[in-house]
Amino acid sequence: MPLLKIEKLNKIFPNGYHALKDVSFEVDKGDFLVIIGLSGSGKSTLLRCINRLYEPTSGRVLFLGEDLTKLSGLKLRAMRAKIAMIFQQFNLIPRLSVLHNVLSGALNKKSVLDGLFYRYTPEQKKVALEKIELVGLSHRTYQRADKLSGGQQQRVAIARALMQEPLLLLADEPVSSLDPATSHSIMKYLEQINKELGVTVICNLHFLDLVRRYASRVIALKDGQIIFEGYPRDITDEWFKKIYGEDAIEVKTT
Amino acid sequence: MNKRLNIIKAFCIDTGIWVYIVFTVNIVLNKISGISHQKTYYEDMPSYLVQGLLIATILFFIKGCSLGKDILKTTLPQSQAYYKRPSTYIMCMVFLLTILSGWYISEFSLNDLFSMDGLEKATRLFSSLFSPNFKVLPKAVSEAIETIYMAFMATFVAIPISFLLSFFAAKNLMSQTISQKIVYNVVRFILNYTRSVEPLIWAIIFIVWVGIGPFAGTLALMLHSVASLTKLYSEQIENMDDGPYEAIKATGAHPILGIWYGVVPQIIIPFLSFTIYRWDINVRMATIIGLVGGGGIGELIIQYTGLSMWNEVGMIIIVLAAIVWSMDYLSSIIRQALK
Repeated sequence: MPLLKIEKLNKIFPNGYHALKDVSFEVDKGDFLVIIGLSGSGKSTLLRCINRLYEPTSGRVLFLGEDLTKLSGLKLRAMRAKIAMIFQQFNLIPRLSVLHNVLSGALNKKSVLDGLFYRYTPEQKKVALEKIELVGLSHRTYQRADKLSGGQQQRVAIARALMQEPLLLLADEPVSSLDPATSHSIMKYLEQINKELGVTVICNLHFLDLVRRYASRVIALKDGQIIFEGYPRDITDEWFKKIYGEDAIEVKTT
Repeated sequence: MNKRLNIIKAFCIDTGIWVYIVFTVNIVLNKISGISHQKTYYEDMPSYLVQGLLIATILFFIKGCSLGKDILKTTLPQSQAYYKRPSTYIMCMVFLLTILSGWYISEFSLNDLFSMDGLEKATRLFSSLFSPNFKVLPKAVSEAIETIYMAFMATFVAIPISFLLSFFAAKNLMSQTISQKIVYNVVRFILNYTRSVEPLIWAIIFIVWVGIGPFAGTLALMLHSVASLTKLYSEQIENMDDGPYEAIKATGAHPILGIWYGVVPQIIIPFLSFTIYRWDINVRMATIIGLVGGGGIGELIIQYTGLSMWNEVGMIIIVLAAIVWSMDYLSSIIRQALK
């Protein structure tokens, strides 16, 4: 059984924009799936439909055999806990320390009251410190997260995601607001999480050389439809032009 | 279909403008000819309506003379420069007529302002105000303290109420389900209603309810503060960055925690700064509320002005100025520190 199975997923926004058209694919455990496509091709919408930050209009999202689109309340939150997400804009909580940002990844295990008063168990604090060490930010543990550099903030976000002990990690253009060197460092962390911790990763990317370097499988979206599904080595120049348009020229990060 | 609707809209705009022009022209003509000094604006309205409708209908079919068509851009883009279009002149005329009729309606009169008699009285009054009677200083200070605490209590009680309400009055948090939308609209309606009634009126209502005194004034201020603070708070929530809220939601946290972690840290500083500003406003408003019997230094003012004791009033004004100045200073320091 695949870890995640998307069946005929459609998303139509209230303004009538049809962002996803009958998208279907499968993700196996341990995959490093990369989704490519132009801006506006529906990549972010697709990720957000998986953990229901957006409500899909129709279709099924089967995670561990259960249809996520049918869940609500407690059950939905329990499933979300197993699916971590990192974002292009990092989306850390401003004014809170790195430690508390990472700890917030454990909020799904907290009662509302404990959460309101920032009460965490010593065990959770220990795990949080481990995750911070994993992303190499131990020296920043008690600093305000919003004062860190972009790359460091994304590493905090990764630590927060790991705090959830997820089975699946959704990465929405995790390196799009970072410089090339930092991009590689972040991608290496994702690779490490994928290979060593066995977390399945679905990642939106723009740069094809990053795709070739890190992806185990690739899906290309165009106007909300899947137009390519295969391995990174299969993306020929011909496919590249189909995905990005005739006039596109491949840009390389170093 | 859309075009036809736009033409109807344009005609309505034209009619509205011409009815207004006829109305203001009538006021100016009446004043100049000195025919009538009675306020019969409402009674005369039907005749204005008919005249306005008539002019609008005629001009609607003359090219370039319809302001409504220009505003809604139903006609093709005009090659004419804006200062050559008739509609520009109509707008200028509306503006000029508004100033003229406003001058007459508000009975603007430089004669009255600079008459010898009036100036003499004013000189007498101001000389009294500027030679304050220091004997009433203790009384004024005691009442001023009451005013400051009224403002403080009103603000303090309003904070938690507005804080809670603001989340229900924020459109971005309340647009998911139909029940959320209903709550949002109900909260907004009540708040707008409360805010549209001046604290002075609320004070009169509460004086009837709980009796004359500072408590009535405090309640009036509190109600108004809740309405205004909730509006300011919720607008802040609407302008927030959705990212952190999304991120916490994605961890599977309870929605309340999503707001507590994803929203509150972003808005807490603007909230504090609004609140301090509100306290500042409340101190000044508490004075006004005292005028109708809501307690505090305002009561003293109304007593002394009623008895034409201008030296005493002068003393109170000095005390008030001192309070307003120190509040201003204090709140600017606190707001600076919060950044």
